[in-house]
Amino acid sequence: MSVLHAIRCGGYSGVDRIAAATGLDPAAVESELIDLGVAGLVTRIEGGVWGLTDAGRAADAENTAAELDAAGARPAVAAAYERFLVLNPELLDLCTAWQLRPVDGVVRVNDHDDLAYDTRVLDRFADLDARAAGVCAALAAALPRFGRYPIRLSGALKRVAAGDLEYLADDTGSYHAIWAELHEDQLATLGIPR
Amino acid sequence: MSWIRTIDAATVEGPEVLGAKAHGLALMHRLGLPVPPAVVVVVEACREYLRGGKFPDGLRDELADAVAGLGARRVSVRSGAAVSMPGMMDTILALEPTEEAVEAAVAAVFDSWNAPRARTYRDLNALPHDLGTAVIVQAMVFGDRDDRSGTGIAFSRDPNTGAPEPYGDVLFGHQGEDVVSGRTRTLPLQALAERKPGVWDGLVAALHRIEDHYRDACYTEFTFESGELWLLQTRPGRFTGAAAVRLAVDLAEEGAITRHEALLRVSPGHVKLARTPRIAGDHEVIGRGIGACPGVASGRIATTVEEAIRMAPDGPVILMRPETSPHDMSGLAVAAGIVTERGGPASHAAVVARAMGKPAVVGVTGLDAAQGELVTIDGTSGVVVRGLAPAVADAAADHLERLLAWADDASGDRTPRGEAERLAAAREALRR
Repeated sequence: MSVLHAIRCGGYSGVDRIAAATGLDPAAVESELIDLGVAGLVTRIEGGVWGLTDAGRAADAENTAAELDAAGARPAVAAAYERFLVLNPELLDLCTAWQLRPVDGVVRVNDHDDLAYDTRVLDRFADLDARAAGVCAALAAALPRFGRYPIRLSGALKRVAAGDLEYLADDTGSYHAIWAELHEDQLATLGIPR
Repeated sequence: MSWIRTIDAATVEGPEVLGAKAHGLALMHRLGLPVPPAVVVVVEACREYLRGGKFPDGLRDELADAVAGLGARRVSVRSGAAVSMPGMMDTILALEPTEEAVEAAVAAVFDSWNAPRARTYRDLNALPHDLGTAVIVQAMVFGDRDDRSGTGIAFSRDPNTGAPEPYGDVLFGHQGEDVVSGRTRTLPLQALAERKPGVWDGLVAALHRIEDHYRDACYTEFTFESGELWLLQTRPGRFTGAAAVRLAVDLAEEGAITRHEALLRVSPGHVKLARTPRIAGDHEVIGRGIGACPGVASGRIATTVEEAIRMAPDGPVILMRPETSPHDMSGLAVAAGIVTERGGPASHAAVVARAMGKPAVVGVTGLDAAQGELVTIDGTSGVVVRGLAPAVADAAADHLERLLAWADDASGDRTPRGEAERLAAAREALRR
């Protein structure tokens, strides 16, 4: 995935986040950002995060459309997106279940002191992730850059299993955040406005 | 085996047979309250259907007879399980009660027991998949019939504070689903007192009667058709945090429950939540939505991420977006609070707000405020008010103090400890 497109899908991002999305090392990302900045496609704002300019957004839309047409991948991506939309509400429900839980009919913040409950939620995430991997495989078969998403998604779940609970829904590298980028990427690729 | 019961004052079976909703309707009959005619297909019929993949023998005929007996021109068909599974199952409204249509609707509600979201919900909350749901077929009443009609929801006390006065929403000239869906702006329940005093009096009397029975705050759904009040659902109020504390203490002081019961009704978790900041006093409410992350935030409205980032150094910002996506993350990060027009408690904005611990209100339609305007949001109640409204974290302080004094009396322990610990010790002593 290009640096430009990573910012398009991830919104304002720091170097490390762009590196995670693209698979490039941070030095290469930084060098690319400077070139893109000179070309007027990205801009650096407070806190060292980078965002697209209007020209950058237009350039990315053009690149993405050209790539999609060159690969003849529109039908395949559109079909995969339909499958993704079936999974999306389930993902949001599961994130909510991770953060909130009903106790005696009343919804409360999940304070993660009930291991059995958390385990049930994580089991469902693993199940969802296996199905999401199928959608990602279809996307990656059409456009190889989608191949990074399943690796990043599964990686986030592994970190949660290892005890880094914030990698489910709290961190910018969380399962929820990567999922939202994947959602945005499909919209951007198909040219569907929000 | 009979699969169907008429819901009336003589319907005395428990929620495990009738489901919680039909059980509540039967209760209202016994209390002499106006409930539209209804029948319930018992939970066991659903279990048979789920096991065998078809209606159990005899259900079809019973259903046809029972629905004919309602004599209604339109019926609603609703799920009603013994356990609460909010919003997970199907409801069919304003159905013309032909045999075929009612059968299909009952089957659709049975099937919705196994909808993916419902299955996930039960998996997560360790509820058995073979419980099944009852199905209520009820004569429709119409809140949109004429200008003396409407619909709403009402609590016997304020679920935000526990204050002992009726609280809820009313919508004139509309049907009930318009209140629940949030598609239409509702009015505070007090508008009913002004515009339909007769209906209001009937409703308040009903709330008192149900509350006296439960010895607990109650929630009801109601419709009034051409000036006539009908009650469609009731259940205990299920208050949380400060409202739970105040309710239990008030009920004990009113003599409805004992002090020991009050202690057993408030869990230590509620005491922890009781300190959640809330908007204090009366302010101009300019929008209502769903509280997605508790807490109070004041700030100037930014309608784009770029504006939020630009404005943030000069003072707190409330980011207001139609909905949120990864593009909004930087804006969410600098904002003091979040308001979205679309989406519910499981929306992207709600998930991120909770992750960041920022007050959030989602699903606010028709907010009457502009870019740069100062507003205050309450992520518990879901209200947006104009201007800088003060927040208090101890609205229930007096009540909490009394409850904790009773707790120390019950446990006999007066050593300095946290509030939740004091309550937990009392509850343990009382259960011994």
